[in-house]
Amino acid sequence: MESHVNEVLLRWIVIVPLLGAAVNGLLNRRLSRRLSGLLACAAVGVSFALSVVVFLRLVGMEAEQRRVTDTLATWMAFGNFRVDLAFAMDQLSAVMALVVTGVGFLIHVYSLGYMAHDEGFSRFFTYMNLFIFAMMTLVLGENLPMLFVGWEGVGLCSYLLISFWFNDEANAAAGKKAFVVNRIGDFGFLLGMFLIGTTLLPHLHEGEGLYSFATLQSHAGILAPVATAICLLLFVGATGKSAQIPLYIWLPDAMAGPTPVSALIHAATMVTAGVYMVVRTNFLFVLSPTAMAVVAAVGAVTAIFASTIALTQNDIKKVLAYSTVSQLGYMMLACGVGAFAMGIFHVMTHAFFKALLFLGSGSVIHAMSNEQDMRIMGGLRSKLPVTWWTFAVGTLALAGIFPFAGFFSKDEILWKTWSSGNTVLWVIGFVAAGLTAFYMARLISLTFFGRNRASAEVQSHIHESPATMTVPLVVLAVLSLVGGWIGIPHFMGGLAHFEQWLEPVFAAAAGSGGHITEVHSGVAAIDATAHAVQTGHAGGAAVHDTTMEWVLALASLAWGLLGLVLGWFVYNRRLGVAAAARGLGGGFFHKVLENKYYVDEAYEGTFIRPGFRFSRTVLWKGVDAGLIDGLLVNGTALVVAIIASLLRLFQNGMVRFYAWSITIGMSVFVLYLVFSR
Amino acid sequence: MEVTLTHYLALAGVLFLTGMTGFIVRRNALIMLMCIELMLCAVNIVFAAFSRLHGDAGGHIFVLMNFAVAAAEAAIGLAILVEIFRRRRTVNVDDLKALME
Amino acid sequence: MEGFLFWFCGGLMVLGGLMTVLQRNAVVSAVWLVFAFINAAGIFAALDAPFLAVMQVLVYAGAIMVLFLFVIMMLQEPTLADERRLLRLPLWPAVALPPAAVIVLLAGWFRESGTSGLGPAPAAGFGGPEHIAGLLLGRYVLAFELISIVLLVAIIGALAVGKDERKLPWK
Repeated sequence: MESHVNEVLLRWIVIVPLLGAAVNGLLNRRLSRRLSGLLACAAVGVSFALSVVVFLRLVGMEAEQRRVTDTLATWMAFGNFRVDLAFAMDQLSAVMALVVTGVGFLIHVYSLGYMAHDEGFSRFFTYMNLFIFAMMTLVLGENLPMLFVGWEGVGLCSYLLISFWFNDEANAAAGKKAFVVNRIGDFGFLLGMFLIGTTLLPHLHEGEGLYSFATLQSHAGILAPVATAICLLLFVGATGKSAQIPLYIWLPDAMAGPTPVSALIHAATMVTAGVYMVVRTNFLFVLSPTAMAVVAAVGAVTAIFASTIALTQNDIKKVLAYSTVSQLGYMMLACGVGAFAMGIFHVMTHAFFKALLFLGSGSVIHAMSNEQDMRIMGGLRSKLPVTWWTFAVGTLALAGIFPFAGFFSKDEILWKTWSSGNTVLWVIGFVAAGLTAFYMARLISLTFFGRNRASAEVQSHIHESPATMTVPLVVLAVLSLVGGWIGIPHFMGGLAHFEQWLEPVFAAAAGSGGHITEVHSGVAAIDATAHAVQTGHAGGAAVHDTTMEWVLALASLAWGLLGLVLGWFVYNRRLGVAAAARGLGGGFFHKVLENKYYVDEAYEGTFIRPGFRFSRTVLWKGVDAGLIDGLLVNGTALVVAIIASLLRLFQNGMVRFYAWSITIGMSVFVLYLVFSR
Repeated sequence: MEVTLTHYLALAGVLFLTGMTGFIVRRNALIMLMCIELMLCAVNIVFAAFSRLHGDAGGHIFVLMNFAVAAAEAAIGLAILVEIFRRRRTVNVDDLKALME
Repeated sequence: MEGFLFWFCGGLMVLGGLMTVLQRNAVVSAVWLVFAFINAAGIFAALDAPFLAVMQVLVYAGAIMVLFLFVIMMLQEPTLADERRLLRLPLWPAVALPPAAVIVLLAGWFRESGTSGLGPAPAAGFGGPEHIAGLLLGRYVLAFELISIVLLVAIIGALAVGKDERKLPWK
């Protein structure tokens, strides 16, 4: 049911960053760097503070009622179709809002130091604030179109920020690629929305916003027949934004942008928009087991696919990029098996440690005078202590080592996958987790251990980053450590606060047909709910399942540790093993992986080049030059000219001709008069 | 045979036809003007005939007006013709097509 | 009397008109036109319009045609060179046929609608100077005045068009 508790602050959470962007954008170089940066960070900070305030308000409310809205105006309205310019925050949005603005704030502070010497300092912060604005619109949108507005907005900002140093054409190309690929996904998203609209509109009553999430949820039954189609179409959009197969190709290229951008947009926030969208519309997805299966499968395959590529990349940021793709796959896997809360949990923890890793890599790159190739790095452990320690924390979190944040979220996902009966997917996820640990160990070894392989000049410049950069690193490291502790599952004696908090959002997924589950009844109820999510694998007492949970948890832990140790060992001590692995199969495997399975090349050949050819020959020469220019424009002029040249014959200046015309006309007229009697 | 209205109208018609055809066929501007006079004369005959038919001498008045207008028109037309001749040394209307498109 | 006048003067008038149009020499054309006008006076006489008949001779034949002859003589080019091929047959029918058809039809129409004669003879003095004067200065005095303005305008216009620019007093 819709709750109409009003919260005016919601609009300010969204608008303040926009104002920040406006001021920075309009005043640009007239502001001193100090002021410009301060303004931008303050804008995000205010947004974060307001998010906290509203969050606390939600905390103080009854669990089933935890939703506040803020309607600014009616955006579109005709007949029964109505879409409002409105924001809403419930438990899910609150989590997202806090993560986005919180991590966003830290990254803004970090950027003060990282971009300090950059020419386009103000422009950078304009775009960053604009991004926060768009992301908040996405997250706090009360209805699907508002979400889509934010969706497009973050796509735009992504483009602007990826090609921030646009003077280099490669960067501009990367930005374009990101935008275009996103657009393809958006097409699917739009089709899904249209399908929802046409199906639902005839059944609406007056006054119900068509795309409002509350309305969609309450009318989910009507959408059930087309749910599969809708969800698959929406998921296409999600694959674009959240870089899943087949539309992930833009994310590695997006590393062309400044490192804070990679941290904020392509690790912590924008790429999670797809996951958020799937979770937001969970009541639709659960209506279609097919769609759920697709989501889970795509997620799992993406996870392992990307992690294999990450094994061979030499650019530090590219490794992290593929790692992001892989982790996003985990989030999708979680959604696909019905563990939506776990998906969001991983979003949150991933935001912490991936942002940390990216910012840390930024620190490394900064120290190495903009060198990104790991083969030239080494031994930075002693030179960059803070960076090293925070990076280590991030790596442990990513590899899923207890008690860091990543352990809890990843473990829960794998557990839910196993317990929902998807053993194959579990295996895929499990293997990928091992690979994750391995390539991170490789990254650490090449970067922080061993001897430095750079030139003497570069080596002389190596220095730790300024406080404005290291403080956020430390904060994120702390979060990467403790961030998972709010989601400690029951079998470990925790209270699963996170899952509990998000429970009401997934009432539909709980299978109780729209009724809010009783969440105050304690552990048993929660376990019962978790069982309801699983597809018929429930059997046995709670004790039996707990044992399995422990087994899997310990297996994940051991496997992760094995991966780390093995990786460190190979790349630190026995480099010969690495060389041998590279030479396996005549260097074939390594070549395929290093070239990212030649996916980009395949797309180029199948879609891009034929597309160009078609555009050039048919659309340009055929339609544009031939049809429109030739026939319609010139043709019209030609017709006019022909008619004019015919009419011109009457204006020949010959008096006698004029007289003759008069005569003829007069005769006709008189004849008419005579005969009309 | 009694001379009826129709006879007079036929006479006027023939004169008018002659004048009009002459106007279209001839190229000498002076002769064209004369053809116009011929046409006007035909009209005068029609007015006089109808005036006689209805016994209303208003038709005669109109004929007098016609005389005056014809005179005025001939005067101005000739003046223009003289001016054109001064400039272009021709009264051949086929040569006077400066207003053509 | 009336019939005789009609046929005689009418026939001669038609002849005069044809000759006017068919002559190559403009002077000869003008003289034939004078001939036609004089016969027109005869037609007017047949129509009980004595005043008009006299006016026709005085004004039309006497003044206007004289003016024409003046101009023809002044321009000294009575015969145009390219009018030699004028009397080619194909051209005339193409031109004359439409109006001819119209006139024939009109004539036919009139013949059907009424072969009435011209009605009873009018009162004596009909069309005479006194009658005309009475109308002109009575019922149609406005037309009379206006026509005088027309003539004034015509004079001024003719002067304006025809004068020699070099001889202007203020040049």
